[in-house]
Amino acid sequence: MEGGNQVELNMIVNGKKHNIDINPSDRLLDVLRDQLGLTSVKEGCGEGECGACTVIMNGDAVNSCTVLAIQARNKEIITTEGLEKNGELDELQKSFIRNGAIQCGFCTPGMLMSCKALLMKNPYPKEEEIRRAIEGNLCRCTGYTNIVKAVKDVVIR
Amino acid sequence: MQMMKIETPNNLDELINCLKNADSSSCLLGGGTDLIININNKKLYPNTIIDLSGVNELKEIKKNGSSISIGAGVTLTEVCENSFVKEKFPALAQATSQVGSTQIRNRATIAGNIGNSSPCADTVVPLMALNAKLKMLNGNGEYYHIPVDKAIKGSGKKNLKPNEAIIEIVIPYLKDTCSSAFYKIGSRKAVTISKLNGAVVVDINLNNTIVNAKVFLGSLGPKAFRSIMAEKVLMNKKPNKELLSEFQNILMKQVDEAIPGRGSQLYKRHAIKGMCEELFIRLFGESCIRGEI
Ligand SMILES: Cc1cc2nc3c(=O)[nH]c(=O)nc-3n(C[C@H](O)[C@H](O)[C@H](O)COP(=O)(O)OP(=O)(O)OC[C@H]3O[C@@H](n4cnc5c(N)ncnc54)[C@H](O)[C@@H]3O)c2cc1C
Repeated sequence: MEGGNQVELNMIVNGKKHNIDINPSDRLLDVLRDQLGLTSVKEGCGEGECGACTVIMNGDAVNSCTVLAIQARNKEIITTEGLEKNGELDELQKSFIRNGAIQCGFCTPGMLMSCKALLMKNPYPKEEEIRRAIEGNLCRCTGYTNIVKAVKDVVIR
Repeated sequence: MQMMKIETPNNLDELINCLKNADSSSCLLGGGTDLIININNKKLYPNTIIDLSGVNELKEIKKNGSSISIGAGVTLTEVCENSFVKEKFPALAQATSQVGSTQIRNRATIAGNIGNSSPCADTVVPLMALNAKLKMLNGNGEYYHIPVDKAIKGSGKKNLKPNEAIIEIVIPYLKDTCSSAFYKIGSRKAVTISKLNGAVVVDINLNNTIVNAKVFLGSLGPKAFRSIMAEKVLMNKKPNKELLSEFQNILMKQVDEAIPGRGSQLYKRHAIKGMCEELFIRLFGESCIRGEI
């Protein structure tokens, strides 16, 4: 979105402080993708339905398409780019690969962030809790079974 | 492209200042789960956005002497996971836990649900049944209370002035003999907009007789409303299979009166029977309608 007069935004993204100028009408999604180049954050429906743009904000999974960027001021954001540490994938990412939880891949970053947010709060989720955590993430390939399996697999290990 | 201005008050005093200058082209921003989508889809072009997310006073759930108050900035996740809300106001806990998805509930607020004024808004139905009031604040720095119903015009229009904001949702405690329940029916199990939603509050005496009842229905007209005819049916009766069937019949009649000739009338007059049964189970337990009690 365009919007005229720029405003200043301070936030921490994947552990790094950012101080950037944004358009007042920018969504968090726009800033993460277009200004910070974090293209794991996908725009699917743009209406909060599909979950492809899910990121973690101060520990909570949120749709970055429904958050106005300025609302992320002084907040800590994690995107899929932030899961990898020192060149090594996060256990959750490894488990997604191991369990065939990825097919076309478009929903995967959002799905990972919803599952990661769940595991950060609840390291031993039950199946129903896993399913509830990904209610807001649409996947048209996997049928969700392998995604749930991948999360359970992380829990077991 | 117009210049959109964003105001980010950090406390109630700063909010009052923002409200002082608010006009019809200003918009309050709660969680943004309705508003940001509408702005992005170019259905709305506000000149000024007043973001409430930085106002710390609005982020609390407080227990007062005779009521609980939920700040306008409290998310639906915080409401539905609050143990006091779960224990004392199950209808509200059930409604908030069934709005949208985890991501939506992590941002959405009750104040925004009321402000959006959708006919099928899920939190509005239990709030009305629970006789909730809204604590308001305006640009003159005045605080006052209004009933939930007064804040909503209906069909997606709120009945609030640009210079006033909901700051708390205040719900009076119920007697210990009361219980409440909410149920919604949508086109799928999760992340679904209600096709029907309803909330019931009942007071049951020691003889297992209903001595007071409140029944509110949503998604059957411009805004949620009270069904006095359904309340009459429940009064002074014991909850059992027979009463369920009377309750179902009267609510079918209520659907016929609310949306005569509407395409969805036939579906909703049948679907509401299932909703009645689920509400009975949540209020009185399975055994009251299945077998002998
Ligand atoms: C995918 C998806 C699923 C959804 N599912 C449901 C559902 O199942 N049930 C349901 O009821 N809704 C649902 N919604 C709608 C929405 O999430 C709710 O209405 C939510 O409660 C809005 O709250 P918010 O804080 O995000 O509001 P916002 O978008 O911030 O604001 C909505 C309106 O309220 C006004 N407002 C906000 N705060 C205040 C205040 N303090 N005082 C006065 N006015 C105010 C705003 O100006 C605006 O007009 C869904 C939305 C999406 C995108």
